[in-house]
Amino acid sequence: MATPIPPPITRPIPPPPLRAQQPLLSLEGLAVHYGGISALRGIDLVVYPGELVALLGSNGAGKSTTLRAISQLVPPAAGRVCWHGGCINGLPTHRTVKLGIAHCPEGRRVLGGLSVADNLALGAWLRRDQAGIKVDLERCYGLFPRLAERRNQLAGSLSGGEQQMLAIGRALMARPTLLMLDEPSLGLAPKLVAEVMGALAGLHRDGLTMLLVEQNANAALSIADRGYVLESGQIGLSGSAVELVNSSELGHSYLGV
Amino acid sequence: MGSDFIQLLLNGLSLGAVYALFALGYTLVFSVLGVINFAHGAVFTLGAYFTYLLIGGAVGANGLLAGFQLPIALPFWLALPLAGLGAATVALLIERLAFRPLRERNADPLLALITSLGAGVVLVNLIQLLVGAESYAIPSGSLGGLPVAIQLFGAQVRTVQLLLLLVATVLLAALSLWIDGTRSGKALRAVSEDPTTAQLLGINSHRMVQIAFGLSGFLAGLAGGLVGLSVSLAGPYFGIGYGLKGLGVLVLGGLGSVPGAVLGGLLIGLAEACVPAAWSGYREVVAYGVLFVVLLVRPQGLLGKPLATKV
Repeated sequence: MATPIPPPITRPIPPPPLRAQQPLLSLEGLAVHYGGISALRGIDLVVYPGELVALLGSNGAGKSTTLRAISQLVPPAAGRVCWHGGCINGLPTHRTVKLGIAHCPEGRRVLGGLSVADNLALGAWLRRDQAGIKVDLERCYGLFPRLAERRNQLAGSLSGGEQQMLAIGRALMARPTLLMLDEPSLGLAPKLVAEVMGALAGLHRDGLTMLLVEQNANAALSIADRGYVLESGQIGLSGSAVELVNSSELGHSYLGV
Repeated sequence: MGSDFIQLLLNGLSLGAVYALFALGYTLVFSVLGVINFAHGAVFTLGAYFTYLLIGGAVGANGLLAGFQLPIALPFWLALPLAGLGAATVALLIERLAFRPLRERNADPLLALITSLGAGVVLVNLIQLLVGAESYAIPSGSLGGLPVAIQLFGAQVRTVQLLLLLVATVLLAALSLWIDGTRSGKALRAVSEDPTTAQLLGINSHRMVQIAFGLSGFLAGLAGGLVGLSVSLAGPYFGIGYGLKGLGVLVLGGLGSVPGAVLGGLLIGLAEACVPAAWSGYREVVAYGVLFVVLLVRPQGLLGKPLATKV
């Protein structure tokens, strides 16, 4: 598979986040077991308001499990998931959405039997502010004009890239405080990867906090502020995006070579 | 000849409407859980008994409630929806006791099928214990001032058949409007397509499952009350036959398809009505024969999705 050539890093290095600020999300010693197999072995991770944090790692390193544990789709075996400093372990998943956590799952998971517009409307399921929903819907169509063209089409009939845009748009319709994305570049042509990453960078500039899970480290680090690298359920490496890109350890720990 | 045809058509349609209501109850639960609720037939039976009691019927000499009669005697149009609500409550109870504990433990859906079968057996036996195994008849005079039969295009038509057809049509229309045209109906479809993603959108899937059970119980209760009025309550087991037929309809129409359930119900109802009265013993043969032939040609049912797994 051809890896897209990483764009040269020309943007200024962002200032380090204000550590006096309380983290929006923090994972403290989070561990998850599937049966007898441990997928996460006590990881610590923080996301500060306004940050775009990349969570990198190879297949099976525990990236998706981390997001699933934050959304409470899987129960933590140990450790805590904290939101604004309060532990949210054991909260039903639909309540985490109410807190402001939107999780755009792996493999897009659009509702194929419903139209594009219906998918987006369900993204705003917990909201009652009709005017705000309308504004966000227009913003979403502005971000991904192709969705606007296909708004009455069944989501299942969209191409892979369009489904990914729909999945992101649907998550945005919840007007989240934190947007978590699981491998948005998976299975997309390089041109579409760039398009999706561009859209995410735009959302970040507008101030949205994001936790981006990616196997495509170059694409993710090109837009992220900071990153963590997961290696078989543990944090192997972390630092600012620039540090990670220039680190010789990245390829080492990430590709296992 | 013409009047015979109208008679036959109405017989078939009203029977088919009952089957469709029945199959829709299965469909609602199947669509959110992927499991067939085998207690559905017992809920239908309960609906009939509730209706009988609410219009002031007395319990017979057998059973623990021998001679019991409610102090009130409601008109049929009021007793029927109340019986539907009672049946919905029982369906919710079944969800709580036979389905949710398994779901919370992530058990194989097949196990819920067995527990629901158990819940159905318990309900049927409970009915027998309480009111005995004899048959009860809802007096045909319970329809208030309405005549027992009316003339329609030269045919003598029983009012209860028209009522059955009317109630079923209204309910089916309301249900499809709800599922296709409202936010909560679409949320139900979201849960049916992908429960995990539905939760990630903030949809409380437990709540949607409860709604599906409540609605399915309500539909079964109404169908039970109407059939009780139409042909009498032939003992605690009388829902079982309809339950099996409803399953046939469900498969015939295509698992999980709402229009399929309606089409399948009408088809089987009409097929049965075409069997001459002298050969009425062969009705089941015809009904299941239709099912057999359709499944040979279209294994996914009339309106079901193809069985091949999609990528």
